[in-house]
Amino acid sequence: MQTKPHFAFFDEGSKKEIRRATLKAVAIPGYQVPFASREMPIARGWGTGGLQLTLSLIGKKDVLKVIDQGADESVNAVSIKKLVQYTTGVALTDHTAEANIIQSRHRIPEHPLREDQILVLQVPNPEPLRKVDAREYMTKRMHAEDDYSGAWLILFEQIMKYGKMTTGAAHPVYVNGRYVMAPSPIPRFDNPKMYYSDALILLGAGREKKIYAVPPYTNVESLAFEDYPFSKESFKGKQCKLCGAEEVFLDEIINQETGDRTYQCNDTSYCMERLNSAQEKEVESSYA
Amino acid sequence: MAIDQVHDLQQVYRNMLDCMARPGTITSLEQKTGLFEDQLSYNEAIFLCALTVLDAEVTFYIIADTDKGDKLAELISSYTMARVTSIEKADFIIVLQGDIKEEINKALSICKMGDLINPQQSATWIVETAALSNNGGVTIHGPGIKESKQLQTGLWNEFWQTRNSKVKEYPLGIDLIFVDALNQISCVPRTTSVKLTEVG
Repeated sequence: MQTKPHFAFFDEGSKKEIRRATLKAVAIPGYQVPFASREMPIARGWGTGGLQLTLSLIGKKDVLKVIDQGADESVNAVSIKKLVQYTTGVALTDHTAEANIIQSRHRIPEHPLREDQILVLQVPNPEPLRKVDAREYMTKRMHAEDDYSGAWLILFEQIMKYGKMTTGAAHPVYVNGRYVMAPSPIPRFDNPKMYYSDALILLGAGREKKIYAVPPYTNVESLAFEDYPFSKESFKGKQCKLCGAEEVFLDEIINQETGDRTYQCNDTSYCMERLNSAQEKEVESSYA
Repeated sequence: MAIDQVHDLQQVYRNMLDCMARPGTITSLEQKTGLFEDQLSYNEAIFLCALTVLDAEVTFYIIADTDKGDKLAELISSYTMARVTSIEKADFIIVLQGDIKEEINKALSICKMGDLINPQQSATWIVETAALSNNGGVTIHGPGIKESKQLQTGLWNEFWQTRNSKVKEYPLGIDLIFVDALNQISCVPRTTSVKLTEVG
């Protein structure tokens, strides 16, 4: 006999614990609140933190969107969506504007988020100081003492070695002028979207058992030096080969045979929406 | 109408989260009374909030001037398995309306505020007020507030002064949840800077 799963997978006690940690996380922006990460039906390190946040938030009327590296249809996103829908029956969407809970791995959607939306980010390594010291006890102490010289030194060493800051993703940020936080492995391109965001941003690390948050309208500054200012990845002069979008985060696609490079929107639903609206306009004008 | 442990409390939580993320925002909870009608001598929202966040893993303390505090403590304990403890140790401090100014001020100064290693080990206050509004009262600004907001809680100046000195050493501090008779809630976390504007 198969019994129906409990609403949103978790027992109510687990939800309460996650909810208490989330409320504390919002009250102390950027501080990693420890929580009793539950065993999930997906492997730790594959979005269990984000999933646990989503399950603790979600109600019958919510509309969920899940993306993985900007794509709605990749494996991680699809399996998380399926699990949440199976246990809650909520509506799913690909459109950023239609969703009110957006769980994401490694991207903040191109479409600007609104006040009534919550962005849930999956975090593999929540500790920006882990490279500085492997011991949790020590990194917690550094956060307590506001000692971020290690985080600065990592960036400084990059500049000494390569002439620039070479963080590919998860460029550390200062939240509310107090805590240095790993913004999850989003590209530098997305860091400025956290600054005074309209939406609440929750970050969950299941394997590392941490929940942290960036409330809306909060000062989020990327770490940078006066003479080496922070810069986003630049796609100057490049555009999406499908929808022609500029000023968005682009994936580089190399043709193995010819060696040609083409570019495509990383946010697939944004690209699709642009293509659809362009087609609608085309149809309208041809009938007129 | 009975309270649905799963769906109603999920709604309450989302309201609390929304308010905590946007200090000074007032949202209202759905009226659920009926089941406790004859027993309730306090705002229903107090009980809803308690049901949402309390369980056997946490402790609480109730400040009230009559025996209704004891009744509520018993009710909360029997529903959530949370234990009553002293002010200094309580994870949640629930304040009912009444002539208890001094006790509140005292509790504010001795309740948990976390330490620098674990600032989350601090008390969260759930405070019953007569009516919440965004007209007059204190001026607040900080994370979650676009520019600045007004929040009227009907609490006395000394309350805010004591609260302000309690959150001076950020990230240490306490987080406040206010509930009123219309089942409205509003939050003031430790990051919010509160300026007194009213006289008296």
